[in-house]
Amino acid sequence: MSERKKQQDVARNFDFHGPALDNIFNDYAELRAKCPVGRSEKYGGFWFLTKSEDIFAAEQDPETFSVAPSMLLPAFGTDDPLIPIDIDPPKHQDYRRILLPLFTPQVLKKLEDPIRQTARDLAKAFVERGSGADASYMFARPLPTIIFSRLAGYPDKDWPKFDAWVDDIIYHRVEDPERSRRAANEVIAYFDNLLASWQDEGESNTLIDYILRADIDGRRLTQAELRSYCYLLFVAGLDTTAWAIRSGLWFLARNLEDQRKLRARPELIPYACEEFLRTLSPVQAMARTCLKDTVIRDQEIKKGDRVALVFGAGNRDEEVYPNPDKVDVERVENRHLAFGAGIHRCLGSNLGRRELLVGIEEFLNIVPEFKAADLSQQWHGVSSLNLEF
Amino acid sequence: MKVTVDPDRCQGHARCIFFAREIFEIDEDGYAKVRPGFEEVPLDLQPSAEKACANCPERAISIARE
Repeated sequence: MSERKKQQDVARNFDFHGPALDNIFNDYAELRAKCPVGRSEKYGGFWFLTKSEDIFAAEQDPETFSVAPSMLLPAFGTDDPLIPIDIDPPKHQDYRRILLPLFTPQVLKKLEDPIRQTARDLAKAFVERGSGADASYMFARPLPTIIFSRLAGYPDKDWPKFDAWVDDIIYHRVEDPERSRRAANEVIAYFDNLLASWQDEGESNTLIDYILRADIDGRRLTQAELRSYCYLLFVAGLDTTAWAIRSGLWFLARNLEDQRKLRARPELIPYACEEFLRTLSPVQAMARTCLKDTVIRDQEIKKGDRVALVFGAGNRDEEVYPNPDKVDVERVENRHLAFGAGIHRCLGSNLGRRELLVGIEEFLNIVPEFKAADLSQQWHGVSSLNLEF
Repeated sequence: MKVTVDPDRCQGHARCIFFAREIFEIDEDGYAKVRPGFEEVPLDLQPSAEKACANCPERAISIARE
């Protein structure tokens, strides 16, 4: 096969979900070098941007790059726009403003101790299970589920249902969209019930209670708006953080020198976490739709075309990061876009970061030196990660 | 050395307070600003200010040298 043909195939088949992620970092390098703005035929056809500067510029230009009909490609089991990520200005700002005060570093500081205690309890249970235990199901997934559920006010007894819903909605949506829709409908029905029961109760100081009482343009939120917020917080709050923690442990299980370095110099853990986010990010790409014709690196893109901002590729851009494919736990300059940028910057980034950091710290504190028990387990997703220790 | 935060660019990533908590603070909506009195950065904090600037994902922090 000619070099040019091969390159066209990489672009045409470009995908950022499921098994396509196994070797995606090689594809990123090739695309950045030879086809930085390209077109894939997947998901109804979309353009993709792989250079950090182009992604950043698109994020700063919501007048050209709309988040409608959804930032998610493909959608998360529903055609309804998710608030606030699938909403454009000017309405976006009002919707986002409601949530802003809930996710500031000073508010999240109060969660530090509960996160640490939960991480310790989970890590101890993991050690007790013994060598070969699954760090994804025993640690990376339950930590954000417990923390976020308490913050939001989801009853403890409901937690066991959450992992299966997340798996169906997010991870099975590509090969089985119907399964994803069924789970989305179950989650929406679940929240309709919860919202109804909360409406009858007094103030409870939870996130959902706060949204129930929130004011937008002098009115309360409608049932459809409340449902959308709840659904978004559910799919955004649980899965991404679990992936981030799991991918950090995945890396440390295969790079024992780095693991030993972090144990010896725990002050490096915040830098290591930024590297995990940069190189192994849970959100490899988010989509936009062009509101007008535009040109990026000589490539014309038409009004109405879908465009994927491939953060995972931009975060390994050699023009921004020296030795970009190396996970360097001592890297100081790290302006990665794992949480996006511009007006749609991940609202939960400060919470996600805190859970990742404290999670890795406490795992290293409590679990003795560990290594990968099954080398076939991939860096991406939230499926099993078995560790020997 | 003078430091400023462009309020139109800041989106609340809060990376600046990781690198230079002495210089920056976060308001109740999560946006950063320079602490009063620190617009002119003391000599010992200048390396931290530079790290904050280099790590701001929105490029909202500007540093000007005399």
